[in-house]
Amino acid sequence: MTKPVELPQGTLEMLILKAVSLGPLHGYGILLRIQQISGERLEILQGSFYTAVYRLEHRGWIKGEWGQSENSRRARFYSLSTAGVHQLKTETAKWTDMAAVVAGILNTKADEV
Amino acid sequence: MNLLPAIRRLWHSIAPRTSSDVEEEFVSTLDAYQEDLVRKGYPEEEARRKARIDLGQVASQNEIYRAAAGLRLFDELGGDIRHGLRALRKNPLFSAIALLTLALGIGANTAMFSLLDQVVLRLLPVSHPEQLVIVRETGNHYGNSFGANTISWPMFEDLRDNNRVFSGMFCRFPATVNMGYGDRAVQIPAELVSGSYFPTLGVGAAFGRTIAPDDAAVPDSQPVVVLSYSFWRSYFEGDRTIVGRTITLNGHAMTVIGITQPDFDGVELGVPAKVFVPIMMKTEMTPHSDGLKDRRRRLDWVTAYGRLKPGMSLEQAQLSLQPLMHSILEMEVQQPEFTRNATAADRQLFLRNRVELLPGSENGLREYMRRPLWLLVALTGAVLLLACANLANLLLARATARERELAVRLAIGAGRARIVRQLLVESLLLAGGGAIIGLALAFVAARILLRIYLPADSVTEFVISPIPDGRVLVFVMGVMLLTSLVSGLLPAVRSSRTEITLSLKDRSSALSAGSISVRKMLVGVQVALSLLLLFGAGLFVRTLRNLENLGPGFPTDHLLTFRIDPSLNGYSDEETKSFYQRLDVNLQNMPGVASVGFSAMPILKGYAWQNAIVGKDFEGMPIQEQPVLNHVSPDYFATLGIPILAGRDFTTQDVGPNNWRHDTYAVVNESFARQYFPGRNPIGQRFGLVDEMVPVSPQDIEVIGVIPDRKYRDLRETPPAQAYFPYFEDAHFRFMNIYLRTQADPHLIENELRERMRHFDPHVPIVGLQTVDEQIRFSLRTERLVASLSAVFGSLATLLAAIGLYGVMAYTVTRRTREFGLRVALGALQRDVVWLVMRDVLILIAAGLAVGVPLAFALSTLVRSQIFGLGPYDPVTLVSSTVALALVACLAGLIPALRASRVDPLQSLRNE
Repeated sequence: MTKPVELPQGTLEMLILKAVSLGPLHGYGILLRIQQISGERLEILQGSFYTAVYRLEHRGWIKGEWGQSENSRRARFYSLSTAGVHQLKTETAKWTDMAAVVAGILNTKADEV
Repeated sequence: MNLLPAIRRLWHSIAPRTSSDVEEEFVSTLDAYQEDLVRKGYPEEEARRKARIDLGQVASQNEIYRAAAGLRLFDELGGDIRHGLRALRKNPLFSAIALLTLALGIGANTAMFSLLDQVVLRLLPVSHPEQLVIVRETGNHYGNSFGANTISWPMFEDLRDNNRVFSGMFCRFPATVNMGYGDRAVQIPAELVSGSYFPTLGVGAAFGRTIAPDDAAVPDSQPVVVLSYSFWRSYFEGDRTIVGRTITLNGHAMTVIGITQPDFDGVELGVPAKVFVPIMMKTEMTPHSDGLKDRRRRLDWVTAYGRLKPGMSLEQAQLSLQPLMHSILEMEVQQPEFTRNATAADRQLFLRNRVELLPGSENGLREYMRRPLWLLVALTGAVLLLACANLANLLLARATARERELAVRLAIGAGRARIVRQLLVESLLLAGGGAIIGLALAFVAARILLRIYLPADSVTEFVISPIPDGRVLVFVMGVMLLTSLVSGLLPAVRSSRTEITLSLKDRSSALSAGSISVRKMLVGVQVALSLLLLFGAGLFVRTLRNLENLGPGFPTDHLLTFRIDPSLNGYSDEETKSFYQRLDVNLQNMPGVASVGFSAMPILKGYAWQNAIVGKDFEGMPIQEQPVLNHVSPDYFATLGIPILAGRDFTTQDVGPNNWRHDTYAVVNESFARQYFPGRNPIGQRFGLVDEMVPVSPQDIEVIGVIPDRKYRDLRETPPAQAYFPYFEDAHFRFMNIYLRTQADPHLIENELRERMRHFDPHVPIVGLQTVDEQIRFSLRTERLVASLSAVFGSLATLLAAIGLYGVMAYTVTRRTREFGLRVALGALQRDVVWLVMRDVLILIAAGLAVGVPLAFALSTLVRSQIFGLGPYDPVTLVSSTVALALVACLAGLIPALRASRVDPLQSLRNE
């Protein structure tokens, strides 16, 4: 089994934003989707999930609404706000850029210096 | 609709989600996860555990949410506040005393300083009041003067036209006039002002215009009047159309040309002028004295003011004016009116007169008030100091008591910053609570002070606001806040650095040792200050008692008085004379009235009419103080209860010819007889009043009676030489003061009297109706204020010092419990232990007294002029206040001493 990848700080929020961007979800649904699209390879630290959700909601990037879940239970559904859409775009761009730069550095061969 | 999400966002930031909401969501997610795990094959219990491990505990969600939402600071502060309140509630005695100390310090001081500011310190509400000075002449006055700080009109003109130090000069004269408007007549205080009054002061008009130099150029030419703003608001109800209309003053039609700017009531603070009239109308405003047209250079009646040129100091100006003054005096000395009755010695003395400049806001009231009110400032300063010392003591005690608690908290991991913040919150809570109570107290205290100072029934024109001054409040609060922060926080911060283990193991630490000696010093300070206050209280209470008991020398009960001036109505001399004759008969027949007396000068109000005396028997004697004079009716002495020692009283037949103060009779007092006719029977002797109008003053006044010495001007004076003339002898009738001795309570017939007078002549209002007792009580207001305040503060200070002492000793005793237990176990008696403790108590008290007694001595010389009937080093007062203080303090120390002596040795040794 492949080793689970630890999440660097701050990226969990970006992932939650991505998860929610694919469609409104309730809390557990977001968790499942992250697991799903990461191929079950991400390890979420204890208790860090909801901290991230609260923070995102407080900053207005996701908004929550009470509704009915699949099994007719009361659950809070989160969707991306306009500001959240913008934030996700910005963060994605930053992350991609950084990843490219780091990968470039790490792939430098001795003779390219 | 885009509004809704915006509102929702706003709402989010203001009102965070409720805890039940947060928990409900978490629980739903938890359940969903749990179910999933069960479906994957986990047993129920393990699924539950795993869900909670992975996601978190339900109970902590709310806290996590609030932390994520940035609300943690609020929560912590809220916790600190609640904790602080709880701590204060758990120590009710400490909290109560601390709050009371704060409230007292803030409230009392604010009220006192507000009162002082208004009565003594405040400057005039004009532009650059510090540039204004009063110009007066000092030295041997020669002639007639109407009031302190006055000069004559010709001298004012000379100074005004020839000086180089003032950018402007003006003068004024206060008068009382009868005002008529519509069908109402009322007597009001008026201000006669020179043309440059308003321009020099820089006071403008709210409506219309003020008096200009042109209005005061020619006598009697400009019948104009300016109303004061407050008078216009109250009497004319703010009616703007009054400008341009006519009102009558003393029967003369005057046009209202304007209203002054708000808040200006003349230059005499506390005694507001209601109307302003050009000084050139003096003849009309004061029908029976005419200093304006009478150009005698030695008739002093105007108060002159100057505005210093920018950059010129008072001292410089005063110096520069001396040569000018000297040349004026040299000119005056050669006038015939001076040479007639003056000797060469008088002339020499006269030429030494100087000009003196006083600050513009100075007036008779302030000069009189200055000393005693600064006393009150010192008093309140002492109280503030005491309050701070007490507060510091309390807070230090508390800090050391909590040393252990803080050590424990540090040991279990609380951050130092968090602890300090919590202590800060506690100190602020205390300070805040004290400030609120103090503010309320300030309002109440200001009113109480005012009521002691100016009793409601006193007939007075003083206008002092009972609202505390904001600046003073802020200052005092700041001082107390600083004290509470320093004394509460500093030791607490230090203790948060303490070696934890040391604190936990043993009760003592470097902190406690240091702070206990600070506390002892504080108690010593409190004892010293308390002695000061008690001693002062003793002096002032006894002074008040002395003044009240001594009285003027004649019985003042059942004595009513009022003033009246029919001449203001334009009555001629004949009409006025008949008015008084009829009034005398009318009042004598009034039921309830035992006797009636008329007097031109009011008694015990500080007024004095004086004149130089000539007599062949005492020619060449140095002119000491001139005697005080009066015109009285035949029953005056009988009404006041002053016996005739020799000779006889006036009768209605004693009316001389209409020649002013000549060929008449006089009743003199013993001092007069002693001074002017030593060793002789005064009855039948003759003397005369110096009259500048005639070449030689005749001695045509014959002494017909002698009365004993009684106070004339105020209660503190040594009775001066007094001479009384029959009142019908005075050809120029002016106002009269009427005195009535009533059979029953004088208050009962006050209303009847008013009715009767209205019936007698509705055009002549009576003014200042009160009993002489009330008048005296009013005159003693400052003494009363000082006495009551010092008594209250003295007792309070002693109480607080005792409490402080108790606290310190109780703490010391607790710390020495083991030692006492040991001593008792080794054979010490109970009283030995008591003595051990009391020795410390006595040393502490002695130390405080050692500072306090010399201090009291040193400071009491400063108040020498305020006390009466006893000296500033009065031994009885000193001894009794010291003993009282020592007794109370010893009692306070005795309680913990007795407790120490009762300690069970086994218990105490076991506890350690």
